[in-house]
Amino acid sequence: MSALAFETPWALAGLLLALLPLWRSGMQTAAYPWLAMLPPDPLSQAVMLLIRLVAMAAIAALVLGLSGMHLREQSVERIGHGAHIVMLLDRSSSMDNSFAGKAPSGSDDGRDAGGIPKRAQGSTQGAVAEESKAAAARRLLTEFVDHRDHDLIGIAEYSTSPLFVMPLTGNRAAIHAAIAATATPALAYTNISKGLAMALSFFDRQAVQGSRILLLVSDGAAAIDPDSEAALRILFKQQQVRLYWLFLRTDNSPGIFAQPDDPRDDNAQAMPELYLHRFFSSLRIPYQAYEAENPGAMQKAIADIDRLEQLPLHYREAIPKQDLSGLCYGLAAVLMALLLGAKLCEARMA
Amino acid sequence: MNWKLKDYRFWCLSLALLANLALFAFPTRRQAGEVYNLTFVIDITRSMNAEDYRLDDQPVSRLAFVKHSLRELLGKLPCQSKIGLGVFTERRSTLLFEPVEVCSAYTELASSIDHLDWRMAWAADSRIAGGLLDAMQLLQERDSALIFVSDGQEAPPLNPRYRTDFSAIKGKLKGMIIGAGGLRAVAIPKFDRNGKRVGVYGPDDVPHRSSFGESDLNPEKIEGYDARNAPFGKQAAVGSEHLSALREGYLQQLALETGLQYRRLSDAAVLAEAVRMPEFALPAAVETDVRRYYAVLVLLLLLAIFI
Repeated sequence: MSALAFETPWALAGLLLALLPLWRSGMQTAAYPWLAMLPPDPLSQAVMLLIRLVAMAAIAALVLGLSGMHLREQSVERIGHGAHIVMLLDRSSSMDNSFAGKAPSGSDDGRDAGGIPKRAQGSTQGAVAEESKAAAARRLLTEFVDHRDHDLIGIAEYSTSPLFVMPLTGNRAAIHAAIAATATPALAYTNISKGLAMALSFFDRQAVQGSRILLLVSDGAAAIDPDSEAALRILFKQQQVRLYWLFLRTDNSPGIFAQPDDPRDDNAQAMPELYLHRFFSSLRIPYQAYEAENPGAMQKAIADIDRLEQLPLHYREAIPKQDLSGLCYGLAAVLMALLLGAKLCEARMA
Repeated sequence: MNWKLKDYRFWCLSLALLANLALFAFPTRRQAGEVYNLTFVIDITRSMNAEDYRLDDQPVSRLAFVKHSLRELLGKLPCQSKIGLGVFTERRSTLLFEPVEVCSAYTELASSIDHLDWRMAWAADSRIAGGLLDAMQLLQERDSALIFVSDGQEAPPLNPRYRTDFSAIKGKLKGMIIGAGGLRAVAIPKFDRNGKRVGVYGPDDVPHRSSFGESDLNPEKIEGYDARNAPFGKQAAVGSEHLSALREGYLQQLALETGLQYRRLSDAAVLAEAVRMPEFALPAAVETDVRRYYAVLVLLLLLAIFI
C-alpha cells in the first residue's frame, strides 16, 4: 500500500501545465539577423534548459500542493514500557469524606483535574483545606495518567452496582474527563464483587500482551458471597491480571493487615478488608496491596506502581496523516526565487 | 541592470513569490462555526426496560432505543462538539464522564454508550423530579446543556403534596427533557438477581400510590382515614403502576417548571435533530486551510510568464 495520497486527485490534471515551459521560453527575445551566424554556445543552452526545468518543477510543485498531497495515517509497531490498566474506582459515599473520616473542610484545592467546583461543600474560607479521599484519588490518578504515555487505560466505578465508564483507550482527554467526573457526589454503598467482575470484563477481547493491571482504589471493602467468589477466582485466572489494591484507610478503621483482637471478630462481616485481602492473596496472581492513610502515602503507592509496571509492551503507535502540500509550496517558493535570480541576471542585447 | 528589463515577467515572478510568502504567513483563516456541548443524563430505572420501540422490526426496550439514538447522534455532531454522559436512578444523577470531544473520542463514546445498562442502577426507586434537580445542580456551573432522557414514570407514584421545587434553579441552565417511550401502557419486564428475565411486573409487585407523609386530599374525603394509623385511608390502592407509558404531560410540566425544552423521542433521528437547536449551539472558531487560494494565484502568475 502506498502511503502517498491526494485530497483532490483531479487537480493533478494541472500537471500538464508543467509542460508549458517546454515550448515557450518565457524570456525576452532579441532580433538577430541570421541565427546560423551565431556560434554554438553549449553553456547558454545548458542554462536555458536548466531554467526551463526549474520553471517546470515550480509549476509541478504548486499543482501537487493544490491537489493536497499527503501521507496517509500509518501505524508503526513500537516496543515501549506500558501496560493495559483498568482502574476500578470506589464511588461509595464514604469516599467524599477526608482521611480523618470527616466531611472535607474548605473547598478542595483546585488542583484536581479540571478544577470543577464541588457543590454541596461547606465553604469555610481560610481554613486549611482537607482533601476528601475522592479528591485526593482524582488528583493523584490524573498525575499518574499523565505519566503513563503508552498505556491503555480503562475506567470502571462501583458503588452498589458497577458502572462502566470508559473502555481501554489511549485517548488521554477521555480518561481525564472520566476521572474528573468523579468530582460529582459519590453514590451509595460498596458492592465490590460486581465491580471486580466488570473491571475484569474490560480485558475480554483484548490481546494478552504487556502487563494487564487492575488497579482497585477503594476506602472499604465488603464481604463477597461464595457464588461471586468462585466466579471471580475463575475470571482472575483467565484474564491473567496483576492486581494492585490501593486501600485508602480512614483513621481508626481496621486496615487490610490488621489482625482481629477478638476471635469472634474474625469473620468477613466484621473485617471485610482483611478478608478481601486474604481472598486476593489466595488468588495466586501477582498481587500487591497498599494502605494509605493520607495523600502522601497514596502518592508513594502510585509512584511505586508506576515504577513496577515498566514491562516492555508492543504497541502500535498511530502516525497521523502528514500533510505534504506545505512542503510542495515551500519547494515552489525556492524554485521561483531561483527563477527570479536568473531573471535579475538577464542582460539586454543592445 | 537595465530598467527596461523589469518587464511584466519580472513583476509576475516577483508577485508570485510574494504571494507564496503570504501563503506561509497566513495559511489559515478563522471561520465561525457551530459546535455543541451536551451532557446526557439517561434514566436507567426499570421502566426503561419496557419494550415499546422497534428497531429492525424487533421490539427493543426504551433504553436500547435511546442508546441507538445516541450512537446516531455521535456521527452527526460537528467535530469539536463535546458529549458528556451520566445516568439517573433513584433520586440522584451521576456523571460517568465530563464532556469529551466527539471526533477524537468517537470509539470510546460509542463503547460507553453501548455499555449503559439498567444494572448500573445503584438503587431502585425512580424519583424523576429529584434526579432532574440533581442533574441540573451538577451542571449548573458548567458550560454544557443538559439533555435529560426519561419516560416520566415516577416509582413509587408521586404524592402531589410533596413536589420538588425548581424555582431556585429555573432558567439557570440550558437543556432539554427527552421523553422516551410509547403512549400506550406496556408491561415492564422483570429480572431475577442473576439478570435472567422472569416475566413481567404484576399489579401486586409495585406500590400504586405514595404512602409517604400526608395525603393531599381532604381527610374527610378519604375512606377509613385515621390521622395516625391510616393517613391514606384503609382501602388498598389499585392502579396500573405496573404498566408503563410515556408520561408526557408530567415531563412537559417538569420542563415548564425548570425552564427546559421538551421533545418526544418518536424515532431515532429526533434526538440528533432536537439537540442541534440554535439555543444550544456554541460559536466556535474553525481554522480553515486557505492556502489553495494563494497557490492558485501563484500558479497563474507563474504561467503568465510563459505566454
